[in-house]
Amino acid sequence: MIEFERDTLSNGLKVIVHYDDSTPMVTTNLLYDAGSRDEDPEATGFAHLFEHLMFEGSENVPVFDTPVMLAGGENNAFTNNDITNYYITLPANNLEIALWLESDRMVGLDLSESRLATQKSVVTEEFRQRYLNQPYGDIFLLLRPLAYKVHPYMWAAIGKDIGHIEKADSKRVIQFYRRHYSPASAILSVAGAVKPDDAFRMAEKWFGDIPSPAKIARVLPVEPQQKGRREITVHRDVPAAQLIMAFHTGGRDSRDFYILDLLTDILSGCDSGRFPSVLVRKKELFSDADIYLSGEIDPGLVIFSGRVKSGIDIKKAESAVMSELNRLASEAVTTAELEKARNRYESLRLLSYLSAANKAFSLAFHELLGDADGINTEIARYMSVSAQEIIDSAARTFSPDNCSVIHYLPEVK
Amino acid sequence: MKRHNSQQPPVIITPSAGDTAFPPMVSLSNGVPVYLLGKGTAGLLRVEFVADAGQRREKVHMASSTANAMLTEGTVNHDAITLNDLIDSTGAVLNHSADKETASLVMITLSRKLEEVTALAAEVLFHPSFPETEFRMLIDKRVQAFLTGRQKTSVIGREEFYRALCGNNNPYGRVTKLDDYQSITTAAIREFHSLHYRSDNMYITVAGHDPEKALPVLEKYFSGNGTGMWHKPEMPEIVFETAKTGRIFAEVGNSVQSAVRMGWKGISRDHQDYQGLQVANMILGGYFGSRLMRNIREEKGYTYGINSVAGAFHGIGYIAIMTEVANSYREETISEIKKEIMKLCRDEVGQDELSIVRNHFMGEIARMFDGPFNRAETIRGIIDYNTGHDYFARFVETVKTITPGKIKELFNTYFNIDNSFEIIAGAK
Repeated sequence: MIEFERDTLSNGLKVIVHYDDSTPMVTTNLLYDAGSRDEDPEATGFAHLFEHLMFEGSENVPVFDTPVMLAGGENNAFTNNDITNYYITLPANNLEIALWLESDRMVGLDLSESRLATQKSVVTEEFRQRYLNQPYGDIFLLLRPLAYKVHPYMWAAIGKDIGHIEKADSKRVIQFYRRHYSPASAILSVAGAVKPDDAFRMAEKWFGDIPSPAKIARVLPVEPQQKGRREITVHRDVPAAQLIMAFHTGGRDSRDFYILDLLTDILSGCDSGRFPSVLVRKKELFSDADIYLSGEIDPGLVIFSGRVKSGIDIKKAESAVMSELNRLASEAVTTAELEKARNRYESLRLLSYLSAANKAFSLAFHELLGDADGINTEIARYMSVSAQEIIDSAARTFSPDNCSVIHYLPEVK
Repeated sequence: MKRHNSQQPPVIITPSAGDTAFPPMVSLSNGVPVYLLGKGTAGLLRVEFVADAGQRREKVHMASSTANAMLTEGTVNHDAITLNDLIDSTGAVLNHSADKETASLVMITLSRKLEEVTALAAEVLFHPSFPETEFRMLIDKRVQAFLTGRQKTSVIGREEFYRALCGNNNPYGRVTKLDDYQSITTAAIREFHSLHYRSDNMYITVAGHDPEKALPVLEKYFSGNGTGMWHKPEMPEIVFETAKTGRIFAEVGNSVQSAVRMGWKGISRDHQDYQGLQVANMILGGYFGSRLMRNIREEKGYTYGINSVAGAFHGIGYIAIMTEVANSYREETISEIKKEIMKLCRDEVGQDELSIVRNHFMGEIARMFDGPFNRAETIRGIIDYNTGHDYFARFVETVKTITPGKIKELFNTYFNIDNSFEIIAGAK
C-alpha cells in the first residue's frame, strides 16, 4: 500500500504527497497534461521542443540547472505522446528549492529568440542521433502513420520530420506555453522524506498565486476502426530483417490494457515466455521476439517486434507469429503461465517502487488518469485477470484486419 | 510575463554526502566474503555474486563474456527452456554480466522465494552444461549485433578509443572481428568456467531488509568447493602499448552524424591525483552545466550531448571526451573542445563554479548510497578496484578542500592537447 495525501490549490493545481523516510532524498514530479497529441499536424515535435526550452531559464532563475546542482539535486524531463513530465530529486531539506524552480518556469519562462534557435539546433541533432543515425532507428517514424490515419498518435513525440522543428517560430512557442503550462493543466507530486503538511504549505507558497486560465477541453479525432491489413516494406542498410506488427487496442483505462499487459508478459516478458521459447529457441525463426503495449492514454497499440534470422523468409516468420497469436484466442494460457506472470508483476512492482522518484511519477500519472489511488488499486486489476478474459481479449485484438505490418529489410547489394 | 507575486528565493542548504560507511562483512565457512547491506523495503532482496572472471582473465578472446552469458542456457539438471521457466516462475530476475575486470550474476527475488532462487543461482553458476545448440544461437545473435554495430558511429568510436589507448594485443583494447565468432568454442568456455567460477573465487553482496537472514541459505549453497586442489590461475600477462596520439579516422558508411572522441592515458585509482582529477573532469564535461555542455550544446547547438570521463581499469587509466555531432560540425567541435581545455589550463575556476561542482558531487554520493540496492552497486567498485573502505570518505574530503590552483595544475598535467588522440567515426 502506497499511502499519500492530496490537495487541490485554488488555481486548480493538484498536489499529491507520499511520505517515505527510507531515503534522505525527495523527488518532485511535475506532470503537464500536454504531449505530442496536442500538436498542430503542421507543427509536430513542438511539445518536446518546448520541454528543452523549459531548461533555458526563467524570470528569477537565469540558469535552471545551477540551483539544482547547488542543492545537490539532479533533474530531467521527458515528453511522450500524452504528457510532458519534469522531475527533480534532491536532499529533502532542499525541497523548497525544487518547488521554487518549478513554479518560476511555470509562470515566467524566458523565451528569447536566441535560446529558441539553439534548442532547435540541439533537437535537430537529437533527431539525427536517436532516429536517423541508428540502424533500425526510424521504425516508429514509419509505424505511427501506418497504424493511425486521423488520431495525432500518427506522429512520434520527436515530430514527423526535422523540417517541422526547423520552422518552429517564437509566436507558436508562446501560444503553446500559454495554452498548456498552467496550474490547472499540471499535477505536482512529491515523494520522499517530507511530511505532507510541509509539502502542501510550500506548494501553496510557490504555486498558490499563479493565475490559471480555464483548462481548454481536449477534442481529438477518434481513430476509426481499422478494416483491413496494412503493410509496407522498406529497405535499409541493416544486416538483418526486422518484422513489426501492430494491433489496435483499448486505452489506458480499458480492461484490455490490464489483460494485454499481463498477456504480453506471458508471451515475451521473460526468457521462458512463449515467444523466446517457441519463435526463438524451438523454431529458430527470430533472434529475438518481443511483444508489448505502447501504453498511451487514448486507444493504443500492441506491438510485436522481432529480428528475423538470416535465411528465413519474413513471410514465414510472420505467419508463425500470427499462429501463436491465434492460438491465444482458442486455447487458454496455463495456470502456471498466469501464476508466473503474477509473481513477476509482484516482484517488478516492488522493485520499481523502491525508488521514490518512480512512486512520484506513478502517483501523478494515475491522478491524470483519474485517481492517484490507481497506484494501489491496479494490483487487483492485474491479479484478477482470468484465462477466459485473455481468450476474449486476444480474439478481439489479433485479427489480420486490425494489423499494420512493416517488413524492414536489408538493402539488396 | 512578470511574476504575480515575487518572493525571496529559498536559501539553499549545502548538501551533505551522508553516511558513506563501508558495510559489515561476514564469511561463509569456506571463507567466501558476504557483505550485508541492510535497511530497505521488506519483501525484496538483491543478491549479487561477483567472480574474478572478467575479460582480463581470458586466454581465448570472448571466453569470459560467453561463459557468463551461457550460464542461464541450461545446466546439468535442466535444459534451457525448463531452467528459465523455473527461474521466471519464482518472479525473480537473474541478470548476468561480464566486464573487463569481473563477472557477475545478480538475483533480485521476493524474500519468500529466497531459498528457491538461491538454489537456482548456485546451479547456474556452478553446473552449467553449455549446450551446443544454445551456444550456436547465442553466437548467431552476437554476430547480428556485431554487424549492426558496424553501422553505429558510437560503437566504432568506442572501439577505436580503447584500441588507441591500450593497443590491440590485450583484452582492454582488442577490437572484436567477425572471425572471432568462428574461433570461440564451447570447449574454451568450459575451460574458462571451470577455472574461474567457484565460490572461493567470488564474493557476495546481500541488499535489502534483514540481509542476515540470507546467510543460512548462502551457507547451504555457497560454502562448497572451498578446499581441494584448485589454485587460483595465474593472471595472464597484459601488455599495454603506448597510447596513440593524433587523429584517427574510421569510416562509417552513410552516417548523418559522426562520433567524436578525444582521449588521453590517465592514472590509476590509487594515484594521489585520481580523486582530484574527478573534480577537474566534472568541471570540463561531467554534468549538464559543464564547460563543454554549455559551449557545444547550449551555445552552439552542435550536439544533443557531450561529456567527459576520467576512469581507470586495472593497470591503465583513461580520460575520454565523447560526443555525436553532424558531420559538418566535427572540426568546429574539436576546436571548441581544445579551446575549453586551454582556458582551464590558463585560468583558475571561480568559486561559484567550484561550489556548483562540489555540491553536485555531494548529491551524487548521497544518491549512490541511497538505499541498499544502490549501496550494493557502489561498494562493488570499491571491492573490485581495492580502493579502500574509506574511499568515499577521502573523496568527500578531496572535493571539499581542493583549490582552484590545484585544479588548474591538474588540467596542465593531464589534459595536454599535444599528446591527446582524437577519433572521428563517421562518413568521409
